[in-house]
Amino acid sequence: MRQEGLLRHATTRLLGLVPTLLILITIAFFLIRMAPGGPFDGEKVLPPEIRANLDANYHLDEPLLQQYFRYLGQIITGDFGPSFQYKDWTVNELIAQGFPVSATIGGLAMLLAFVLGTLIGTLAALRQNSAVDYSVMGVAMLGISIPNFVVAPLLILVVAVYAGWLPAGGWDWSWQRMVLPVITLALPVIAYIARLTRGSMIEVLHSNYIRTARAKGLPELLVIRRHALKPAILPVISYMGPATAALITGSVVIERIYSIPGLGSYFVQGALNRDYTLVMGVVVFYGVVIVVLNFIVDLLYAWLNPRIRYDVT
Amino acid sequence: MALLRVSNLEVDFDTPEGLVKAVNGMNFEVAEGETLAIVGESGSGKSQMVLSFMGLLAENGHARGEALFHDKDLLKMNPRDLNRIRGKHIAMIFQDPMTSLNPFLTIEKQMAEVVMHHQGLGREEARSHAVEMLRAVRIPDPEERIKQYPHEYSGGMRQRVMIAIGLLCEPELLIADEPSTALDVTVQAQIIELVSELRKQTHMALILITHDLAAVAEIADRIVVMYAGEAVETGSVDDIFYRPQHPYTRGLLASVPRLDRESDDELQAIPGNPPNLLDLPVGCRFRDRCVEAVEQCRQRPPLWVTQDGRSSRCVLPVEGGEILEEPAAVEQTA
Amino acid sequence: MTPTLHIKQLLVCSLLGLVACSDQESDFGRPLEQRSHPVDLVLLEDGRPDPSVLAADQVVRRGNGEEPETLDPHHALGVPASHILRDLFEGLTAESPDGELIPGAALRWNISRDARTYTFYLRRDMTWSNGDPLNAEDFVYSLQRALDPATASSAARILLPIQNAREVLAGELPVEELGFSLLDEFTMQITLTGPTPYFLGLLASPVAYPVNRKNVEEFGDQFSKTGNLVSNGAYVLKEWKPRVSIELEKDPNFREAGQVLMERVFYIPSEDASTEVKQFRSGELDWTNEVPNNQFKWLQKHYPDELVTSPWMGSYFLGFNLTQEPFIDNPSLRMALTLAIDRQIITDKVTQFGEQPSFALVPPGIDGYVPFSPEYADWTQEERDHEALRLYEQAGYSDENPLRIEIRFNTSDNNKKIALAIASMWKQALGVNVTLVNEEFRVFLQNREQKVITQVFRAGWISDYNDPYSFLELFRTGHGRNDYGYSNPSFDALLDEVGTERVRARRERLMFEAERVLMSDHVIVPVFTYVTKRLVNPRLKGWQNNVMDHHPSRFMFMLKSRNPDIQGEQQ
Repeated sequence: MRQEGLLRHATTRLLGLVPTLLILITIAFFLIRMAPGGPFDGEKVLPPEIRANLDANYHLDEPLLQQYFRYLGQIITGDFGPSFQYKDWTVNELIAQGFPVSATIGGLAMLLAFVLGTLIGTLAALRQNSAVDYSVMGVAMLGISIPNFVVAPLLILVVAVYAGWLPAGGWDWSWQRMVLPVITLALPVIAYIARLTRGSMIEVLHSNYIRTARAKGLPELLVIRRHALKPAILPVISYMGPATAALITGSVVIERIYSIPGLGSYFVQGALNRDYTLVMGVVVFYGVVIVVLNFIVDLLYAWLNPRIRYDVT
Repeated sequence: MALLRVSNLEVDFDTPEGLVKAVNGMNFEVAEGETLAIVGESGSGKSQMVLSFMGLLAENGHARGEALFHDKDLLKMNPRDLNRIRGKHIAMIFQDPMTSLNPFLTIEKQMAEVVMHHQGLGREEARSHAVEMLRAVRIPDPEERIKQYPHEYSGGMRQRVMIAIGLLCEPELLIADEPSTALDVTVQAQIIELVSELRKQTHMALILITHDLAAVAEIADRIVVMYAGEAVETGSVDDIFYRPQHPYTRGLLASVPRLDRESDDELQAIPGNPPNLLDLPVGCRFRDRCVEAVEQCRQRPPLWVTQDGRSSRCVLPVEGGEILEEPAAVEQTA
Repeated sequence: MTPTLHIKQLLVCSLLGLVACSDQESDFGRPLEQRSHPVDLVLLEDGRPDPSVLAADQVVRRGNGEEPETLDPHHALGVPASHILRDLFEGLTAESPDGELIPGAALRWNISRDARTYTFYLRRDMTWSNGDPLNAEDFVYSLQRALDPATASSAARILLPIQNAREVLAGELPVEELGFSLLDEFTMQITLTGPTPYFLGLLASPVAYPVNRKNVEEFGDQFSKTGNLVSNGAYVLKEWKPRVSIELEKDPNFREAGQVLMERVFYIPSEDASTEVKQFRSGELDWTNEVPNNQFKWLQKHYPDELVTSPWMGSYFLGFNLTQEPFIDNPSLRMALTLAIDRQIITDKVTQFGEQPSFALVPPGIDGYVPFSPEYADWTQEERDHEALRLYEQAGYSDENPLRIEIRFNTSDNNKKIALAIASMWKQALGVNVTLVNEEFRVFLQNREQKVITQVFRAGWISDYNDPYSFLELFRTGHGRNDYGYSNPSFDALLDEVGTERVRARRERLMFEAERVLMSDHVIVPVFTYVTKRLVNPRLKGWQNNVMDHHPSRFMFMLKSRNPDIQGEQQ
């Protein structure tokens, strides 16, 4: 009964994705076209003959509306078109290269942040207002407030340049090159999750059902693990949807500083270069990723929280 | 011999406003199989008192004194030892059944864990035991309903589940903290009746905490009346109902609807408010609300005790009683 | 390794929970005195380095700026792609380490008397990297492909001097009508529209490189990918990992493979100059594309042997919008602003990397051309400021009625600092009230081009080819980048003459005269000429500073370390 409700809910949500994406595509398409300058405008001006060839080659000589429908027709088939900037690659290829990298770094960072964050937050909640609590939360506050463009170079200097144990940047799918970016990316999220967990854990620990569990004579550890943890991490779960999306779609700053070939800088480069197809491709892809992740988190939340029911239509 | 003997129990809380003295020198006993009702207005400290020796006080609460259970002091016990008693020898059910069950776990999980933990039963055994207990508290179709979550139960049903959880290990003492207060009026009596009935079957002792004197008339053996953190009067049900000594008890009785009185008699609520626990008055704590207050009440009133276990803290003498504690002089330091 | 480092290492190890912490120290991360130094270079009689001084591994890792946009030479415009393509391919002409033109695929050439027809005699021992023979037909095919409208190459503009190039690009003539003719298998002629003294230099740029016809036709737009690309240069493409690295390997089929010492070349892209420096310092790079503008003092102190700066053929200047108030028909005001800048302070205190203060458009060192130098170049700054104030007042401005203008620039730290310095100099010397406006690059370019809201704007030019004309033509009436709205018939006439003049000395004089006219019209405020700045592993030799900043890897080699204990070779 509950499962059926969930399934129905899932289907409705997935169908609702289509108009959302259509609106996203439309807005993004016209917005980027409104930006001054085009993909072939540079400091060195092209002779008109060459400009005409380029425009014809990329259909930029067609009326905008026609380009829009051409684009729609194209992405329905899953083809994001060629990149204007990276001429040897299609946008699909670029996303296929960039996303696994961003997703790996971001996913690992999220995992690390979730595990450490909930652990630290729980610890602080259990030792509420103790030295442990204050120091852990103080460090967490630092983690949130120090921007990662400060943390990253610092880590590189200490770990890569002075000590020389890990590379300063670059990418080859080895764990050595993942350590620093993952840590940098995870730090503020660890801090945020720790704070979130601490807050909700304290609230949960004051709830009546925890008192009941303790009155049952269960050991404190069991009380925390079985009775308190799940409700305490629910706010973390709802935060994780957008947070994971933000992490796995690639952080431009991290990618620049660590020279990581992720998706994030394609987005920025694409926008700066007016690489219309690349920007659009990344926007649409981001859109799908974010909607899907929020949807997964939604399901996860429902699965964790028995009070949420989807069989009401 | 007393199953539980509480002496000189004090509970206070550190708050930003100052030290709140919630319980001030409570003394009482519960004998095996006995039903003791602790009656008082809300804020009189009755709940905090039991929570204190159950080890369930909030972080800012501190308890002093003694709470001997089988001659072992619950207040000085380490968490391990306390956990061997809680849920097994002493069970507790709470005022608000809507929030006292974990909404994220099935009823089965919340019941089974008690016996699995205390009696080392396996999952299956624990489950069938839990089903039997649900049947005992008259949950219909317990095999199916045990799979459900708390939100699928009504308030009265949840309190039955709480009772069932409490009784799983056949405890020697059940503490019921206002078990019916939060429920519909129609359900209230059923719950009290159920508790009393189950108590008779299992011969356990029961501490029933309530603000409603009338509710305990039928089931209690003895009654402790609490006011502002201390016991103002103790006695058998008959003593309290028919021969109340303390003006506060009399006030409480006047506010209870009774069959033996004229129906058009108006109920008399006690005027005024209980004293501020942050700044307790030096003399009798009930003085400001007491219709019989005299000059002497500015001193700490004497404690009268009789042979048969009655007691009262008041300047008014108790028949056949003697003074255990002399009235204390007013300290003029302030 | 010092004991303190051990402790630090332990600490961070445990902090990060790393399983394996390598003991390997990079050379560049160490204090100066502990770094390895190269052995002295010993040359053999033929001028080649003695094998005994060479490091065992001849590998160079070159930081290369942004990811190259393509490895199809006919589409490549950007500097990063050009660096790589110069290693992979070879045009009819090539460049030596010092940037001089040398024979490439063509062993020699003749230029006709009218300077319009070039005859190239190609080497006969050339092959593609797949072993196929390479001849003149390949070059004709490739140049035709580059100019084919269907190729839609932006780089094709470099080939516009070729006869009928414009018509072919416009689709008015077929590619066969281009000025190419095949005399025999190894001889070809190229005919130009007019004399173009820098044409031989253009042939050394990627758009004039040959591509393998079979290769292109087989793989289409995938031909430049790993495993597909066939090239004719000293190196072949081993692996292209986008935004990670591009690995080149010495091509044994290259005609001079025996001379090439560097076995492998890695081009490492980087979007961030500070990251590059850190990678260099941790030993992951032997060569950086650049260094951050603000790190000069630190690098000079800690990396004096590694830091290399050299003049570059680019100028940094400000432009006036001559079509709007207050600069329309107001040369004295423009001159006042030009004078009232202390360029020495800007290069010493702001840019810091040895940029040269500039009083004209063309940077020195381009193909022997000596730029025009105005009279005030020899004045003291005090004299300039004095004259500036006189002109400023003559233009009708004063303390009571100060000039209010905007300096517009594309967003960058360096541009901002320079604009700020200039604004405060103008304020101090003349009392001008300046507002700084920064804009995203393409917005900035569009505003410049529209000439409506711009007043004073950041400009600058880095030349495509080794010729002053590249700078001068920007100011021709109607040029696409003439964002100044400058139009002077005598200047245009001089440029027309430059376009047809065959005699080098006369042509230079014409260009000098054109530059003089331009500078007397005060269209721009020259500020400084660019330098290239980078860190280079001192063991890397075989390259030289040059204004083009072209550094082919095939002449490079890696020396042994003087102290074998701290040799970073194995990295």
